[in-house]
Amino acid sequence: MTLVALIITIILSTGSLAWGYAQAGLDGLARWILIFGALWLIGLWRRLAWFSSWGLLAAVFTAGLGLWLEVSPGWLLAGSLFALLAWDLTEFRHRLSLAYFDDDLAGLERRHLLRLSLFALGGLTLASIAMIARLQFTFEWAVLLALVSALAITQLVRWLRNSK
Amino acid sequence: MNRSIFVGLIVSGLFLAALATLRAELLAIAIPLVIYLLYGLRGAPQVLDLDIQRFLSAERVYAGMPVIVTVTITNRGNTLPELVVEDRISSGLSLSLGAPRHLVLLRKGEAYTFSYTVAGPRGGYAFESVCAEAGDPLGLFRLGRTFHTTGQLFVFPKAARIKDIPIRPRRTRVYAGSIPARLGGAGIEFFGVRAYQSGDPPRAINWRASARHSVGRTATAHESLFSNEFQQERVADVGIVLDGRQRTNLFGGGRSLFEHSVLAAAALSETFLNQGHRLGLLVYGSYLAWCLPGYGKLQRERVLHALARAQVGESSVFAGLEHLSPRMFPVESQIVLISPLTGEDLKVLVQLRARGYQVLVFSPDPVAFERSILQPTPAVELAARVARLERDLLIRRLQRAGIQVIAWDVARPFDQAVRPALRRFQVPQHLGGII
Repeated sequence: MTLVALIITIILSTGSLAWGYAQAGLDGLARWILIFGALWLIGLWRRLAWFSSWGLLAAVFTAGLGLWLEVSPGWLLAGSLFALLAWDLTEFRHRLSLAYFDDDLAGLERRHLLRLSLFALGGLTLASIAMIARLQFTFEWAVLLALVSALAITQLVRWLRNSK
Repeated sequence: MNRSIFVGLIVSGLFLAALATLRAELLAIAIPLVIYLLYGLRGAPQVLDLDIQRFLSAERVYAGMPVIVTVTITNRGNTLPELVVEDRISSGLSLSLGAPRHLVLLRKGEAYTFSYTVAGPRGGYAFESVCAEAGDPLGLFRLGRTFHTTGQLFVFPKAARIKDIPIRPRRTRVYAGSIPARLGGAGIEFFGVRAYQSGDPPRAINWRASARHSVGRTATAHESLFSNEFQQERVADVGIVLDGRQRTNLFGGGRSLFEHSVLAAAALSETFLNQGHRLGLLVYGSYLAWCLPGYGKLQRERVLHALARAQVGESSVFAGLEHLSPRMFPVESQIVLISPLTGEDLKVLVQLRARGYQVLVFSPDPVAFERSILQPTPAVELAARVARLERDLLIRRLQRAGIQVIAWDVARPFDQAVRPALRRFQVPQHLGGII
């Protein structure tokens, strides 16, 4: 479950940044961002935990640069937010590896993913406000927001059902 | 790098960039990171207040037997969303089931119990600490603490059963036992005839000797009677000396004869204590480990504990054996040496014999042992023959000095290997012939 969430966050992070750059007409940079995303996924596959730290740094830097290059701030904010989540999940995976298989790993994963989902939802809400303020609330942005909201609500429902 | 510091540096960088470029959007990018950091800070554990109890299913076992370790952790502080707890086990022990490390959510007042099974070779193992590390839900801030606990596991060598070990030291102790004491009194073996004393039971009277002695004499009835006297049987002082010298025990590939010697020492001490003897133990490896003489089950425990801890080491203390403490090994008592033997030991053992000790040597065969671990090449065969001749010569010299030597090939179990030798064991003639 954590691995799936981790892959999704890496894709969303680099995808959001690349989409934002592409929207701004910076296709060359968008392509490089996608290549970096692919490298990040390879790093994950090769179990290079340190790569996620570089990934987060690169995502935040790209987001900052995007602001300079007049890229829509919502996509940039989403890119850095999902990079933060990917970095968090990489570390969480490492912590889970310390556990014995008999421990309540599913419970730990569930609680952590719920926290991150709500965090992502809050972050995207913030980004939405930023985009609305700049009148850039596009259809693609609405789709992304709906997807993350659905994920967060699913996690919340699962947590509530389990806690009962 | 600490994760919280890493996020903090990124946030600081964004703030500085925002100030430098006067772009407020950069602050917007920093906001999720700040919230993330604050959320972690809010859940950071302040103190680790845990009560840790450990229970071992057995504290003394024989080699290879599994021991179940149960650890219970009670949280007396605030809820810990992620607690990694690890019971530190000695490197010599091997884990056969379960795990000593767990990751759990431990709420306030809640207890968590886990078990694991360990087994290990001979030795003494301490369970000294349990490490706990708690973190906030995001793993940004971690707080670790080592809880010192008490717990010991002794893995004893499994002693083979030996029915009887024939020893006959010159000196015995006052308590009844199994060693003929060369003193008249109550016993089984005939010792001599003496004049009848008032109170002697009628069946003790030697009628033949009395009749022969009374012929042609006028005496009272008591004066003409003679009683049989039997040899008293008593316990003896036995000192086991276990050779833990590296140069005599260790061979190529890290193989060691020492484990076999330890098993032999365990079997011998068990038998001597069962026979009621007063037993002491001296292990000499890198240092001298004494176990003062004593009797019974308590002494057996002491000896087993000493044997569990015994290690091979390098020192030259063997030469000091000729100056053994009479408190440890009373003069004229029995010394049982368990050693692969080297040429330089001859002088020391002969000196011990000269001081009146009865010396019995159980010697694991180093030649056969080393030969079994080497490839059978002509050079090895030749070397083995030379070494065998040297060893046989050494053993003969020891025997000529009145030292009893039992050599055994460690390929066979100790009890099986030495039983025939003990059965046909000859005691020097001046001590009473075959025992």
